[in-house]
Amino acid sequence: MTLGELAAFICTRLKAEGISCTLSGGACVSIHTRNKFQSYDLDFIPDFGTDRKDIRRTLQTAGFIENGRYFKSDETRFYIEFPPGPLAVGSEPVKVVITLEFPTGTLSLLSPTDCVKDRLSAYYHWDDRQCLEQAELIARDNPVNLTEIRRWSEAEGMSSEFKSIRKRLIHG
Amino acid sequence: MEFIQMLESLLGSRNRERVLVFIYTRRKGYAREISRFYGTDLTPVQRQLERLESGSVLCCETAGRTRLFSLNPRYPFLKELQALLEKALSFYPADLKDRLALNRRRPRRSGKPL
Repeated sequence: MTLGELAAFICTRLKAEGISCTLSGGACVSIHTRNKFQSYDLDFIPDFGTDRKDIRRTLQTAGFIENGRYFKSDETRFYIEFPPGPLAVGSEPVKVVITLEFPTGTLSLLSPTDCVKDRLSAYYHWDDRQCLEQAELIARDNPVNLTEIRRWSEAEGMSSEFKSIRKRLIHG
Repeated sequence: MEFIQMLESLLGSRNRERVLVFIYTRRKGYAREISRFYGTDLTPVQRQLERLESGSVLCCETAGRTRLFSLNPRYPFLKELQALLEKALSFYPADLKDRLALNRRRPRRSGKPL
């Protein structure tokens, strides 16, 4: 399975058991850039009130065994993790989650705009250049709301940082 | 050293408060440094650091064999946590506050006598 197919499979399987979660992090970048950046970690943020033991039980039936923080199967090279919530970019909750359909199921994930914010957060706070490049790739391949990204950057206290990289997010 | 617990009932652990206050005051810290400061066992401090990192409250960078922890700038409740820790600190005795603030992190030329 591809990363997207696996993510959709996991998301759908959990949903069938009443567990909602949203794909975040580098795996979203992979999906929104059609694998121009390849991640091997699937970070799912569970909804408020989710019990990890329910996640563990469901994934076990799907052949994924817990090993520390991660769930892993011999049939895939990808690692699955459930970092604690809340689902946020910087200090703001994610308001809109999008869904994509795959042959293996329905995937809930960050929108391209929120994915850009998530990458920029790492760039702003840790000077992670790779994350800035990933934000640029996402913006190149998807329509993103630059006004919203600017607003969010200002709310994060990163107004001047945004100004210095703004042009890299504008395409076409 | 007797520790005055400001937030233990809220955080659920004395060592969790110790770890957070130490890292908040000094910006970064590692397990042995923190346990030595408070005169407490290493393992409970390590456990709290790991739990806080798992919870995305702290982040960690490796310097050689040392795992150096700091407050995660991407933690959604960072500002509120910092405000809480700052308020707790305001109730700490002056000598403890001074000791927490006393932190030589600037480089020292090798071979220079102490």
